[in-house]
Amino acid sequence: MHGWMGQRLRVDLTNNKVEIEKLSPEYYRKWLGARGYNSEVVYHETWEGMDPFDPANPLCFAAGPLVGTLAPLSGRTTVSARSPITCSERSTDTHGHGDTNMGGSFGPVMKYAGYDQIVVKGKAEKPVYLWIDDDKIEIRDASKFWGMGVKEGTKKIMKELGDDPDIRVAIIGPAGENLVRFACVVNSFSSTGGRTGMGAVMGSKNLKAIAIRGSKPITIAKPEEFEKASWVLRNKLHESPSAIRRRDEGSMDLFDAGNAGGLNAHRNCSTGFMPDLEKYYAGYLWSEKYQFRNKACWSCPVACGRYTYIKEGKYAGFHCSGPEMESVCNLGPRIDTYDVPAVNVMCGLVNELGMDSISAGAALSWTMECFEKGYLTKEDTGGLDLRFGDAETSMKVLEQIARRETEFTRILGEGNIRAAETLGVGMDIVPHCRGLEHISVDPRIAMGLSLGYAVSTRGSDHLRPYCTIEMAGAATKRKYQIEQIYEDEPELLEEFWKDFPKEMWTLKTKPTLITWTEKNKMVADCVGCCCQAIGSWGGAGTWSEAYSPLFRLITGADDMTDEKIWIACERIVDIERAHWNREGSARQDDHHIDRYYDEAILEGPYKGVQINREDWEWALDEYYRKHGWDKNGFISDEKAKEMDIPEIIPDMAHGRKIYEDTVKK
Amino acid sequence: MEKTDYVIIIDPNKCAGCHGCEMACSVRHFGKNGTFYSRIRIQEFRDICTFIPVTCQACEEAPCIKVCPMGARKRIENGAVITNEEACIGCQACIYACPLGAPVMNPDTGKTMTCDQCLGCEDGPACARACTMQGALKYVPKYQASKDKARKFAWVLKDEFKPQDESSVNQYAGKEFGA
Repeated sequence: MHGWMGQRLRVDLTNNKVEIEKLSPEYYRKWLGARGYNSEVVYHETWEGMDPFDPANPLCFAAGPLVGTLAPLSGRTTVSARSPITCSERSTDTHGHGDTNMGGSFGPVMKYAGYDQIVVKGKAEKPVYLWIDDDKIEIRDASKFWGMGVKEGTKKIMKELGDDPDIRVAIIGPAGENLVRFACVVNSFSSTGGRTGMGAVMGSKNLKAIAIRGSKPITIAKPEEFEKASWVLRNKLHESPSAIRRRDEGSMDLFDAGNAGGLNAHRNCSTGFMPDLEKYYAGYLWSEKYQFRNKACWSCPVACGRYTYIKEGKYAGFHCSGPEMESVCNLGPRIDTYDVPAVNVMCGLVNELGMDSISAGAALSWTMECFEKGYLTKEDTGGLDLRFGDAETSMKVLEQIARRETEFTRILGEGNIRAAETLGVGMDIVPHCRGLEHISVDPRIAMGLSLGYAVSTRGSDHLRPYCTIEMAGAATKRKYQIEQIYEDEPELLEEFWKDFPKEMWTLKTKPTLITWTEKNKMVADCVGCCCQAIGSWGGAGTWSEAYSPLFRLITGADDMTDEKIWIACERIVDIERAHWNREGSARQDDHHIDRYYDEAILEGPYKGVQINREDWEWALDEYYRKHGWDKNGFISDEKAKEMDIPEIIPDMAHGRKIYEDTVKK
Repeated sequence: MEKTDYVIIIDPNKCAGCHGCEMACSVRHFGKNGTFYSRIRIQEFRDICTFIPVTCQACEEAPCIKVCPMGARKRIENGAVITNEEACIGCQACIYACPLGAPVMNPDTGKTMTCDQCLGCEDGPACARACTMQGALKYVPKYQASKDKARKFAWVLKDEFKPQDESSVNQYAGKEFGA
């Protein structure tokens, strides 16, 4: 087998057992790659109503066929499990599919060790870590590392294993140990899998870390052609001005344009525009003042990662990995602070504590808005007074959340939605879908993005249907792609351009767009490549255009035509959706909070924009129809058979019953 | 210009630790992806974001050539120094004699291998090509080998020497001659 390593490692921490499972070519063709195998395992090995902290919850690490190869941007690892933070509208005790994608170098080395996927189940009696050295697998005591931050823990574990830099460690920080519901998994010191609380699942298993080293090569079915095709993609990146800007400024390069476009969720997403932001947060300023060096994920020529040194001021001498645009945005403009060095320190801090910067920023900004609106007072918070713009107190609160020090911060660590429920206030100002707080981009500004957030299978998320193409700049640059998307619906294509660029605010053309882009993104997630670049920078076309040929060259699976890859992607979307459907979660959860329908944006270029409820319902109908789901958003029996996943049919019937019993009433 | 006049130069300051050079090297020479099949290796100090690429520098006075008991280390037409696998017995003398620790073991044969600067490939060494964007590895003519570093040093100094006023532009300004 080429590209794929052919093995899955299963670890049972309860019984101290390790098992290597061989995977068949048919399995790989059915589930394609990283996100595919993970979503399959997570669906089939969990059940309706399962607690994510149940020892049986499978925590999966997977890397796709292109991971660890010459193909550019191929360093991604997907981590999946049933998520502790997401929930259905019915109750916060319901849970659903969760996964997160991380860069760094864990996935490549996992493949060099010979595994496409590691599935960890069970719960160890005391803290342990897993040591995988090719075929030699050990479950080792981690009591002495428990409580350590990410950097310290990684260093100490590497030291214990002989201080070999070829060892890669995926670890959790104090937040994961304390089951903070938005804890993350961090590999190679600073590459985080942040969303959906995978760190908490790892913590619930008493698993501090997975250390891995590998010495096997990843073979290629057609080496010469593969090399040639990889160079073609790499050359496109080398020559792309946007990629060069990303190299120089990091993802922070999006900041000023984003703000001008009203994309930065300012003050807990009540507006998307922060006055004077470009004077403080602009990417080139950041590079000039704080950047020490670029830091790359595996096989990425762009290296958008940063390493930061603060040279002067109050935090002089502080150094950390990052920051990345989304972290900065959620820990900066979202809590309305201009104190840039403090934001920098906070970004380092959440990494060290092992928390998702998006959800952490959301927790802070939610508390702040609650204070502002008078929902919370000092009495409710145990003396804590947290106001918009107060970076210093925020910093303390972050530490307290991770360590669960006070009653109030313990509640915040349950995630916004559960905090609002426990405290009985502020449910209306938690910007979320399915319990997961969305990123700092206000969903009112673009309807494709908005619909994408709501129907995403891991809770509110922009990376599922990475739908930037609807925005003016991207659409004009990539006209051919728009044409490809609306190939079968010329009337929609006309509609798209008729009102351009104002089409951003109509839902009419969006169901088609979303069903296309979510599969397109799935190709990148499955083969294991970064979603950032190829399409928008390199002019190499969409992810499916860029990666599908490479996928065939490395695996030699010539029978996997573009159409077949597309069908496999559809199947993976369906299995993730089925996970939600099984909980009775369907149409009722494909919505935003009322704020986005009722209130228009207050400031900035998008002033006055909001979502229209009627159009929204229409768009959902259309989106379900495109997928072949039923009118409530459940996967129909015919679709399940067509996708070759008939085992989900009884689960769907079960889910429909829950839906009928709860929602209809 | 002859290819022998070219060298691979390394600037660790620019290395972002992507291991792209290792991938490029292993795919070009072995048709498979793997750090341990690469002749260039990034030495990581990831906790402080510092990465040092180490590869054979094809020393003029190469100790590996002198130390090899089988005479297997040899200089090829582009100036690179490689192991003749037929003569090599895998004694590793070249590894311990090399001041950089650049020779590595070929995992398949147990004999050493070092950078051949992609002899015969039109586009130059694959590692340098993979590093186009960061520029930590460059394939340059020998007479330019120290140019980047010297420029960088000079860049810091240039403010000292740039024209401050008329008198510094013309060192003779204001002086009387022939007095």
